[in-house]
Amino acid sequence: MNIVHTPTRRCPPAVLAATFALLAHGVAGAARPDRGADVTPATVETFTQRNGGVFAEWPNPRVLIVLTGELDGYIEPCGCTGKENQKGGLSRRQNFLRAVAGAGWPVVAVDLGDQVRRFGRQSEVKFQSIADGLRAMGYAGVGLGPNDLRLPAEELVAAVAPVGDQPTPFISANVGLLGLDANITPRFRVVESGGLRIGITAVLGAKQAAEITNDAVEVRPAAEALQGVAADLQKAGCSHQILLAWADPEESKALAASFPQFDIVATAGGADEPPATLPVLPGGKARLVELGHKGMFAVAIGLFADPQTPIRSQRVPLDARWGESSDMIRLLAAYQRQLESLGLSGLGLVPVRHPTGRRFAGSAACADCHQEAYDVWASSSHAKALTTLEEQTPRRDGDPECLSCHVVGWAPQRYEPFEGGFASAAATPHLAHQGCENCHGPAAAHAAVERGDVRASTTERDRLRQELVLSLDTPEGKQKAVNNCLECHDLDNSPKFDFDEYWPQVEHSETKTAAAAQ
Amino acid sequence: MTHRKPNAWVVAGFAVVAGAVIGGGQAALEAALRPWRIGDFGPASLAATSSDAPVAEVPETRHEFGTIGTGAEGTHEFEIRNAGPKPLVLTRGATSCSCTVSDFESADGGDEGARKEVPPGGSTRVRLKWRGKGAGGPFRQQATVFTNDPRRPEVAFVIEGTVVPTWKAVPESIALPTIATGAGTHAEAKLFTFGTARPEVLELALADAQAAQFFELASTPLAAAELESEPGATGGFTISLRVLPGLPLGPVRQTIKARLKIPEDVAAELPVEGTVSGALALAGGAWDSSRQALLLGTVSGRTGSRTEVFLTAKGPHATAVKPTVREVLPGTLVVEVGAAKPVGDRGMVRIPISITIPPGSPPANHRCSDQGPAGRIVLDTGHPETPVFSIPVCVVIGP
Repeated sequence: MNIVHTPTRRCPPAVLAATFALLAHGVAGAARPDRGADVTPATVETFTQRNGGVFAEWPNPRVLIVLTGELDGYIEPCGCTGKENQKGGLSRRQNFLRAVAGAGWPVVAVDLGDQVRRFGRQSEVKFQSIADGLRAMGYAGVGLGPNDLRLPAEELVAAVAPVGDQPTPFISANVGLLGLDANITPRFRVVESGGLRIGITAVLGAKQAAEITNDAVEVRPAAEALQGVAADLQKAGCSHQILLAWADPEESKALAASFPQFDIVATAGGADEPPATLPVLPGGKARLVELGHKGMFAVAIGLFADPQTPIRSQRVPLDARWGESSDMIRLLAAYQRQLESLGLSGLGLVPVRHPTGRRFAGSAACADCHQEAYDVWASSSHAKALTTLEEQTPRRDGDPECLSCHVVGWAPQRYEPFEGGFASAAATPHLAHQGCENCHGPAAAHAAVERGDVRASTTERDRLRQELVLSLDTPEGKQKAVNNCLECHDLDNSPKFDFDEYWPQVEHSETKTAAAAQ
Repeated sequence: MTHRKPNAWVVAGFAVVAGAVIGGGQAALEAALRPWRIGDFGPASLAATSSDAPVAEVPETRHEFGTIGTGAEGTHEFEIRNAGPKPLVLTRGATSCSCTVSDFESADGGDEGARKEVPPGGSTRVRLKWRGKGAGGPFRQQATVFTNDPRRPEVAFVIEGTVVPTWKAVPESIALPTIATGAGTHAEAKLFTFGTARPEVLELALADAQAAQFFELASTPLAAAELESEPGATGGFTISLRVLPGLPLGPVRQTIKARLKIPEDVAAELPVEGTVSGALALAGGAWDSSRQALLLGTVSGRTGSRTEVFLTAKGPHATAVKPTVREVLPGTLVVEVGAAKPVGDRGMVRIPISITIPPGSPPANHRCSDQGPAGRIVLDTGHPETPVFSIPVCVVIGP
């Protein structure tokens, strides 16, 4: 199916304002899109120093192609060090696109795919929200990644379907939801922008196709599918062609060699960050574009009329210089409300048995005997962990991916509750915040024995006590403690974490308490 | 410290002048492709430079380190020379990840903090240290150094390579999105190992022993050709999971636990996630799975509308499904069932269903509320276990 599609976007207020500002200055086209609206020069300077400047010395392009992809579920950045220190998120992405449009640069945005990384109801809801966000940002082409294609067909089809008279931005030359001949998504798209005609298609690579276990997804070999699409794109008279190849770099390069008509080939399988420069593939035409992971960067490619410099590229860090988009904040709020209304059971989160088989008592129960350690905890940020989620806008305390490190009794990396773990602030208030048992282990049986609620032999009592001991006195003991911390203080969410630096902030020990008492 | 907003006219004027300068010389500077600014020509590269300025010469800005283990540390030193007549002042800038740090060498070879002055004719080294992070795969980080060389105010040093974990599962988890009630399914994952010896599976088990009766596990060593797909892998297994019929409706969450000898003992975990759903399901833009209703919205009775959805059938009786319309509310809806077609090679079929509100339809209120209860489309399916399939419909037909 050949859809010739000329975007006719409604102009958002920020774009109108920026355009007006340009005209008022009498230097239309001279503005450089290097910040979001209402972002202070100091913020721009800080993040330019930290992550590099953007579009320095660029004349106005005829068209700016903006490539994104591999969002991996990071609809927004997350972390203990503050969101402002992390890159990514749809909100900044939209403001970046608006800044570009506000500078008067025609923009064509495309996305490689893999909006989500995990499986389950939350990922389904998130995929739908991200698809809505991409539509709102005016994306011209969006591919389907292997993790997207793990979602159930009924969810995928609903999320990618056209909305009203707006065609779906999702495209694929070789992937068919409910079969290729169901034509749920077009094989390619042609857009006209800045006087240029740009063809876009997408494929899933062979290795990724082999891993698809979804009965509802039909995949043809990429090269075979591209034969027909390439011919159609040629017939469409495109001046530039883009291939979104969710494939390993080697396969993407091979496809580029087989189909030299593509000027831009986006590939998966790269490093966390896109490279500083775009490699030019053999043949001297096609640029291979890596996009990094987690949507931290966009890659912008400018097409110019100048025959000596027909193309320039820019890696764009999506950091705090772009500010927040109110539209995307509203979308995030709706997403959070949906999670909250579904609740844990609606999200399919059935509590799993803790590896120890034990249950949780709550941090207050520890205070009966370990008052000093409890006081250290109570004055730490750990004791406010849930509050930080409740106080955010929109609040995140209904989001399992956030909750798992902010309450007692969840598996942090699996985002699922253990049996007897935190269920809600109303039902299990004693398990709010990042409490004692997340490091020491579930302590209900220990607390019951110590209180005398349950009779136990001395041997049994000592065994229960010993199970909860974490010692830093041996390398093995310290490693066990560090590994516990790393469950939440991982490189994504707490990139500056260093146990030896952080430990003094929460240091507590029975030995220390006993020594102080003497 | 206060920041004054730059006067817009001044900014605009500067942009015009800069544009004129750039338009004249920039094209010649960049023959093909304009890279990311850092590490190449900075914004001041076109400014007039005096002959007595410091000159930063950098023989190498990119280092490919090959492979590194997860959590292991690597280091590399980059040289910066001062080929100018004035001292070259270097300031340490940001690194792209806190897994990477940079420092200047001191006279005794140690680290020397954030600033360094290099005399004319002298040189210094920037030491990058990095730690292999994550679950393995390509790794690229960079560190920025600012200089007082007006032609090269920033230099970006890049280290690239591959992080090799102890083990790696491909895919990271097994997803089973389409388990039909009463049916089984199967899936595979590859578990690559990166130890010094060919691995041995000491134990392969499911974490949730209560549900283990519904699963069968097997492992087969990977062939040499299969290992080539994962750089650095020295061994591995295909983990085969067979799901037996009988799992209850709803989400499936399991974990395959493998204990490997490579030659040290290593515990690997492979999550299994899926959904057991009915043999029949609806898919389409108008189908809201959260509300389990077909949302046709508010439609003008004068113009009407047409919506298409798909009924999917999976499981052992999929090909027996031949729906016919038993009941429709509001009665003005015209429901047509198309021909069944197979999807993929696992026995799923899809059946198109079109719902038309013909022009001239009378008003109706089925907005799925107390005032307007849901409409419905009821199908006789031919499926022996789900002979009737009812689809709630939310629609308001206006004038």
